[in-house]
Amino acid sequence: MSMSEKTIWDKIAELDIRWIYLLTIILIVIPVVRPLGIPILVSEPVKDFYKTIDELPPGSVVAVSFRGSLGLLDEQEAQFIALWKILFQRDLKVIFYSPTADGEIILDMHLGKKVRPEDYGKKYGIDYVRLGYAPIGEPGEAAFALDIRSVFPTDYKGTPLDEIPMMKNINSWKDIDLLIFQYTSCTDVEIAIRQWVVPYNMPVLTMTLGCCGPMAAPYYPKMIKGFLSGSIAGAELEIIGGVPGPGAAMTDAKNLGIFGLIVSLILGNLAYWGRRLSKEGGE
Amino acid sequence: MSASFWEILGIWVAVFFTFSVLSFLWKDNPYFKFGQQFIVGVVVAHNILFAMKSVYDNAVIPIMTQGRWTLIIPIILGVLMYTRLHRDYAWASKYPTAVLVGTGTGVMITGILRGQIIDQAKMTVLDVFKSSNPVDIFNGVIILIGVLTSITFFIFTKEHKGPLGISAKIGRIFLMISLGANWSGETVWYLTQMTGRVMFLWHDWIKRAILGIG
Amino acid sequence: MAEVFIKRDLPLVLIFIIGILVIIEFFFPHPALSAIKAELGTWTVVIANVSIFLGLFYMSYAQYRLLQRQKTLSGYVYFITPFVALCLFFIGAAFPGYTSSPQYQWLYQNIYRAQVAMYVSLPLFYCYYAAYRAFRIRSIEALALMLGGLLYTFRQIPLFTYLCPPLHPIGEWVLLVPNVAGGRGAVICVALASIVVGLRTLVGKEVTTIEVR
Repeated sequence: MSMSEKTIWDKIAELDIRWIYLLTIILIVIPVVRPLGIPILVSEPVKDFYKTIDELPPGSVVAVSFRGSLGLLDEQEAQFIALWKILFQRDLKVIFYSPTADGEIILDMHLGKKVRPEDYGKKYGIDYVRLGYAPIGEPGEAAFALDIRSVFPTDYKGTPLDEIPMMKNINSWKDIDLLIFQYTSCTDVEIAIRQWVVPYNMPVLTMTLGCCGPMAAPYYPKMIKGFLSGSIAGAELEIIGGVPGPGAAMTDAKNLGIFGLIVSLILGNLAYWGRRLSKEGGE
Repeated sequence: MSASFWEILGIWVAVFFTFSVLSFLWKDNPYFKFGQQFIVGVVVAHNILFAMKSVYDNAVIPIMTQGRWTLIIPIILGVLMYTRLHRDYAWASKYPTAVLVGTGTGVMITGILRGQIIDQAKMTVLDVFKSSNPVDIFNGVIILIGVLTSITFFIFTKEHKGPLGISAKIGRIFLMISLGANWSGETVWYLTQMTGRVMFLWHDWIKRAILGIG
Repeated sequence: MAEVFIKRDLPLVLIFIIGILVIIEFFFPHPALSAIKAELGTWTVVIANVSIFLGLFYMSYAQYRLLQRQKTLSGYVYFITPFVALCLFFIGAAFPGYTSSPQYQWLYQNIYRAQVAMYVSLPLFYCYYAAYRAFRIRSIEALALMLGGLLYTFRQIPLFTYLCPPLHPIGEWVLLVPNVAGGRGAVICVALASIVVGLRTLVGKEVTTIEVR
């Protein structure tokens, strides 16, 4: 064989990657236009997440530390909407607070529009409260746990907390029964561990992106009672909670796009090993 | 329900900026650069607006209505941060930074020892010895071996030879599996985001804005 | 001497005092100490927010430096664009409702969300490119990386668990056993390193935390 002749392995190795990009885009578009309707199985962390909320006694106080990001809503919106429905279906007191500005915007988008607490018989100030936004970080989270009013003296409308009926007897971690900690930066799970679990042994559930799930797993199930990771967890929560939402459609639409990765892996390794073995065989 | 003019205009604006970012796949170009510069201004504006509101809610209101005069101190310290813009007075910005660093370090250290070392070690050992289910015991043994060997991987003061070398190699395999799971989570996350954008383009742009369906 | 103490040493002393107070509160939660810790937490929020305009200064300076490198028509357009965006959003917030006003929400949803969501989507293609160009299974570690990745991926995509149901418990096992094994080891080591850095910061050895350039 002459030096100028290209083998099949060389041709595979020199493939224009944009063909794989095009294949990926086509594979993503197909299930969006024509849903596949493939069923989803529910995983253990999601089952435990739901079970922890379901087993709360009536009247329990749930604090939701909501660090949502608007740009990442495609990944997590299913989780949020399913959770709001599950919380409002039950006789619970819910406190929302946002350490990120986007968190407040997402709550504006969802509560009262996509999920109406009034439809579940819930009243603002009696069954749920929004404390608003403050960039509290870890020291602020510690301060919140010790004294809610030190970081949020008013609710998101500017009403002093002492004038809100629900907040009259809720002052600190002692009055909270469950913390739901939502975050988008993978290491933030440690804030919940360090500032809620370690000092107060608070039951904590976490909600995060798909890439952060493996980093939350070491703390599950003893320190974190359950966690949601990625959009599929949102779809699973919809199923187990019986609250249909956008998760099923989003999860269904992802079914074929991953083949771009599998094709890339196979072609890349085929080219490498094919060239290497044929060179060794030739020698 | 037909979409209003502002909804349709909003969709077209979103599509404009969506394609400005997507155009980078072809190559770096002025369309992409324009979108990039625009988002810089958006993020700065957004953070300033929310910060101003937060100062009002967290400092001004408590000072004026609850008499929390101690909150004047962090306002002064926050103003001192701006001294870092002038070389001769930049030393004054060390004081607000000291408050931030001191508080942050203190709250971090207290939780780390128990939450990320003692309790993690406890869980690793108890999973083996407190389980009665053989599957749980098997999994616990794997976790115990994995934790011990992956810790030895991080010993950089001794050469990885002999028993330490074998242990570090096994630890590296466990770390690679963990990295693989993280990488997989990231890839599926990007796929979800891309799928979300395609859904937006299909349902909102093509069906609603162009075809007027839905 | 006094000048050096005020400019260099006193901030380090302050870090030590504040850090130690917070640590003592954890072990001896006296109401006075808890009140100080809560107050300090509020102070960090206020300080961070009051100093937010630093971001505007740094952005302006970065844009100015960019313009110096490229004094062409496009350079001027890129220079002015962030400020136009800034003004647009400030105008949006001037409507009743501040950042909750429909005008501001319209701008934020259609400009910020569209772009950021797309920025986060682009790495998908670079992941696939990296898998094609660089991911070679030529060692046991690479095989472990790939197996861990693929098995967990199959668990997250319903098509695979539908076609081959055992992939679901296998993927979950990968997440909750070997991933936890490796992850926990990393968590413990990172935590040990964080304690060392934290203690060095408290005793003033890590001056980079408050140095100003």
